[in-house]
Amino acid sequence: MNEGTAPRRARAIALISAIAIVMAIVMGTLSVTRVGADTGDPMSVVKGLVNPALALLKNDQLTLAQKGAQMRQLVSDAFDYTEMSRSALGYHWKTLTSDQQAAFTGLFTSFIQDSYLNKIQDYKGQTVTFIKWSMDYPGYAQVKTTINEPNGGSPIPLNYLLKLENGNWKIYDVTVDAISIIANYRNQFNRVINDKGFPTLMDELRAKRNQLAGSLGNSANN
Amino acid sequence: MISEMKTIGDGWPARSLLTWLAATAATLLIIAAFLTTPALCAGNETAPGSGGPDASAPPGPPPDQLNGGQPYGDPLAPFNEQMFKFNLNLDKYVVLPVAKGWAAIAPVPVRQSVSNFFDNVGVIPRFANNLFQLRLQAANDEVMRFAINTTLGVGGLFDVADSWFGLKENKDDFGLTLGHYGVPPGPYLVLPFFGPSTIRDTAGMFADGAMNPLDYLTPWYVYIPANATRYALSGINYRSLHLNLFEEVDRYAIDLYGSVQDAYMQNRAAEQKRIDEGSLL
Repeated sequence: MNEGTAPRRARAIALISAIAIVMAIVMGTLSVTRVGADTGDPMSVVKGLVNPALALLKNDQLTLAQKGAQMRQLVSDAFDYTEMSRSALGYHWKTLTSDQQAAFTGLFTSFIQDSYLNKIQDYKGQTVTFIKWSMDYPGYAQVKTTINEPNGGSPIPLNYLLKLENGNWKIYDVTVDAISIIANYRNQFNRVINDKGFPTLMDELRAKRNQLAGSLGNSANN
Repeated sequence: MISEMKTIGDGWPARSLLTWLAATAATLLIIAAFLTTPALCAGNETAPGSGGPDASAPPGPPPDQLNGGQPYGDPLAPFNEQMFKFNLNLDKYVVLPVAKGWAAIAPVPVRQSVSNFFDNVGVIPRFANNLFQLRLQAANDEVMRFAINTTLGVGGLFDVADSWFGLKENKDDFGLTLGHYGVPPGPYLVLPFFGPSTIRDTAGMFADGAMNPLDYLTPWYVYIPANATRYALSGINYRSLHLNLFEEVDRYAIDLYGSVQDAYMQNRAAEQKRIDEGSLL
């Protein structure tokens, strides 16, 4: 376990510095007009999602629909839906036409958002502890948090996985108790596609999305 | 620490004898597993070094959480799906109604104490497997926890080892021991009554069951019903503490079987990682 760590770390550091140098050169030559494009670190991206979301959840002045609309805005900025969709379909992604990929991405995006909004209804005063962030691979980071139950139950580890895209950190997966949500959907989608085909997956995903949206009292758009 | 372990061992000759018996049996099993591992691996589709996806581990995207992004093989799917349905029906018509009834008469602290009691009773496989994996601190902690919780914790009803002494439970089982020494999980297997497992973890479950002293001290017509009752009661009590167990998953799942399968596999992989990192071997 241990003997590989030092060279690997050395290589990782070398790579990160190489990438940093290349990026610095590229940025230096290109970004005369974009000096202020400060992207922040992964932790601030996650805090920028979670803290406003918690404030929104605690806000008694807003209706659920208003909360939903604002939450949708927050969530749409922080996540990389294309990456999530591609990852959730696994090797099936490449077998689809670009139209099918676009249709799936649109549907999966609204499915994820409606799932997230449904979770809002369960909110019972949980707090979030931000533990640390780490960059285990160049361009990929992990932010560790815990969800603390108000009644003092054991805290639930919830980690955000982020990817650097065009200078912005975007969340592409969330793990709850070490279980990757996107990987979990991938296994489900893989089974449905193999057993019943891609169109059936679209039908079932749409039905579930509508069910989730319906329990919010929202009307679905697509 | 070690002297305390010794005292407990000396005071309980029957238990140390049984632990020794279990250890011997388990060691034989490990050796058997080692001998059969090449045979098990021979069936895999990709031999190591045949230019697989992680041939040189290039820098880039992190390895996927799940099986390298590959779907699980599920050769036993027809059987598994039937068992999954059986378990869901068992839960719906028997376990959940009883658990709800139990939840209605017993407040959460009582049910938590029942859960603590069953946890405390299951110390032997936890201790033995931590020892097999050379997780000596964890094994020692399990002995300490048992001693503290059985006495100060009123027969295991209260987990004071955790709340007063900060000694956390070290979950462990023989499936993880086999995994630690390189035995692959084998095909996914859904067991009636017991739920998701794999071939390896099922074998591990039997090995852990064989460490129960009751099985050696009483005749079969006592220990079989006793074990079944213990399992049923702890299962119902667990469900009473997690009344939304499936409902919450099903609400967001497209394919419940696939979701439970993946959750089991990911959870076991995470447990294995935790075990391997804490081991001296």
